Amino acid sequence: MTGNPHVRAQQLFAQSLVDGLASADQEWLAAHLRECDSCSRESASTRELLSALRAVPVAVPRDLAARTQMRVRLRAQQVAQASESNFLLWVVTGASWLLGVFSAPLVWRGFTWVGVQLNLPKPVLELGFVLWWAIPALIAVAVVIHQRTLNGIGARSSSSEARH
Amino acid sequence: MSTQAFTLTAPRSTVLFAGLMTDDTQSLADGLRRRDPDVLDRLIEQYQQRLYRYLLFLTGNTALAEDLFQETWIRVLERGHQYNAKSKFESWLFAIARNLVIDVSRRKKIASLEELGDSESNQPFELPDERSVSPLQLLVTRENEQVVQLSLLKIPAYYREVLLLRFQEELSLEEISTVLSTPLSTVKSRLYRGLTVLKSALPEGAA
Repeated sequence: MTGNPHVRAQQLFAQSLVDGLASADQEWLAAHLRECDSCSRESASTRELLSALRAVPVAVPRDLAARTQMRVRLRAQQVAQASESNFLLWVVTGASWLLGVFSAPLVWRGFTWVGVQLNLPKPVLELGFVLWWAIPALIAVAVVIHQRTLNGIGARSSSSEARH
Repeated sequence: MSTQAFTLTAPRSTVLFAGLMTDDTQSLADGLRRRDPDVLDRLIEQYQQRLYRYLLFLTGNTALAEDLFQETWIRVLERGHQYNAKSKFESWLFAIARNLVIDVSRRKKIASLEELGDSESNQPFELPDERSVSPLQLLVTRENEQVVQLSLLKIPAYYREVLLLRFQEELSLEEISTVLSTPLSTVKSRLYRGLTVLKSALPEGAA
């Protein structure tokens, strides 16, 4: 801390506003401000400034809360619907995975029978087998992405209506 | 001058939200996790003044502050499960609002927060009617408040936000540090420097 009492007073005053003061420092500052008009005026003006800052009234637009509440409720419905359809999607995905695992030996037997009948090489059969499982999954992913895109556009348009 | 004048008074919010820090905070977190619209309605009502004022002072733009106000609550709905009830709700709320302001500034490819406000035509915000004071008092008070508003909008945003959070929203230093995701020492130094910068931004003879 500096040896100049006025500088020290200013530093302590700022510290009292920001961080609080130890009691010894509080006492020293109080005593200095009682004696020093300049520092006392300076601290008073800072206090006035801060009380003006606290007092600045801001008029919240009258219907802002109501509009926000409506928009939040709309969004809550969309989120709830999305989580319901997500749950269904997971159930269907799980069921189809189980079905796939258990039916894979039968499907592979069918593929080998067709391969033998048509005299196809093994790599072609393996590729066909992979595509047999992959194509429906890829179509399902494309449908889900498409639906989500449509839902996103719908959500944006309904929220922009609620915004105004 | 009394010694008491130099101690920080207990913030209003400490008293108001003392209860919220215990069971209420947990039930608030549960409500947010469930995305309960009634809980959100209540919170929007409760925090509308503080959040709007914070956004308005941060952006200096009423239309943008309104948009960000709504977006903040949408984000509270969507990310309610992330509120862990260990910190005050208001700190979490202000942190979300602040991040949205930063997102907007990035989208607009603005280099810093202060460019968000229309600095060329920074006008004081519209003030509500005061009927309990005389017209002369009202004029003087409004002039002082407008001077403070304008000066606040002139100073860099990183000083403005700590001053707002400390002296307007009455958050503790630790809470400000959480809102800004900034070390406590940085918060303190910005407060010290911010006070000096704000005083120097005031016109001669004001405050």
